[in-house]
Amino acid sequence: MKEFKLKQWLILSIIILALGVAWIWISKTPANATASGDIPAPRQGFLAPDFTLQTLDGETITLSELRGRPLIVNIWATWCPPCQAEMPAFERVYSQYKDDGFLILAVNLTNQDNPENVSAFVDKFGLTFPILLDTDGKVASIYQSNALPTSYFIDENGIIQEVVIGGPMSEAMLRIRVEELLNK
Amino acid sequence: MLPIIQIGPLAIQTTGLIILLSIWLGISLAEKSANKRGITTNTLDNLILIGLASGIIGARLIYVIKYIDIFIASPISIISLNPGLLDPFGGVVIAIISMIIYGRKKNLQFWRTMDVLTPFFAVMGVAMGLSHLASGAAFGMETDVPWAIDIWGASRHPTQIYEIIAAGIILAIVWPSRSIWLKTKSGVYFLSFIAMSAGARLFLEAFRADSNIILGGFRSAQILAWFVLAISFWEIFKLSKEKKWTILRNS
Repeated sequence: MKEFKLKQWLILSIIILALGVAWIWISKTPANATASGDIPAPRQGFLAPDFTLQTLDGETITLSELRGRPLIVNIWATWCPPCQAEMPAFERVYSQYKDDGFLILAVNLTNQDNPENVSAFVDKFGLTFPILLDTDGKVASIYQSNALPTSYFIDENGIIQEVVIGGPMSEAMLRIRVEELLNK
Repeated sequence: MLPIIQIGPLAIQTTGLIILLSIWLGISLAEKSANKRGITTNTLDNLILIGLASGIIGARLIYVIKYIDIFIASPISIISLNPGLLDPFGGVVIAIISMIIYGRKKNLQFWRTMDVLTPFFAVMGVAMGLSHLASGAAFGMETDVPWAIDIWGASRHPTQIYEIIAAGIILAIVWPSRSIWLKTKSGVYFLSFIAMSAGARLFLEAFRADSNIILGGFRSAQILAWFVLAISFWEIFKLSKEKKWTILRNS
């Protein structure tokens, strides 16, 4: 580049950088304006959409009544191999951390499964956390889950911290995420 | 939003598919001008593959070191396929170190190599926008503009589309068949790409609702982008100012 072109380049750069500073200033936002914590949506940073379901034992569980406890909502079906594969790790992690208030809600896609299989499955793997029956697929639909398994890590304020699509999740990953939820 | 593509019994994570396709496309595009810049396509392929492989292994390694107690309890998880068990920053650092070592061994000149890799980076920029669109990540602030999209419980700026458009324009500008880029000094091509990308990020970050906010309400990505922009401008200035010395041998 010739001498005068360099000078033009320098002036142009300074103008662009000054505009950049102005734009940063204009697009400044209050600390919590970008937070999405009060809108329910199945995404990290948002409020976990509420639901009420019956468990396999006939109990009724409402998600919003569990505030104060970090939990995992896991959407699964008996015929889904990666769901089966991650259940033993879920059970081990649950029994290790349940005394700290941690909970797993295993939401079974009952409209595409059958309750007898579910019972047999729970016995086979010795699952002790609540198994919820999504009899009309409503929870899977509001959680926009279109792959099995899908797990939602929800903190004690009801905010989704992470969505993991697909599986099986390794035990280390589960443990790391649960410890992070408990230490928040 | 389309996080999963279902082909018969096969469910493919869209993000993974986009990344694979764009790596392939990026490499073939970068190969186009590699020879003209004095780097063989073979060296280029090796460089990119070394970067990718060491990046993935490094990301897992750093993650395992960070949570060593938990991995000692279940060592099989070290080779787990979960992408959630990666430390992205550690991966990038290790990829850069490995590429520098390989470059030293092959006597690659730094700026020239970055120029050769530029089309690859530009394709990855578009891929990043597409994968954000597929997963609904990097979403926008609420707005009333007529082109707003309904996503995550509100009517929002389609920031993923903005990102794809910006990265697409940048890719078109740095398209390797443009001969103007072969005339510039080594490094100016790459730095121009970096400056444009930083500028786009600085501008578009303002529409995002997932920004990391620091003291005073500033968006940290914009501040970082501003510094990257300033450094690229300065480096372009410095590289362009360098005189070309003619070597005269009187013998």
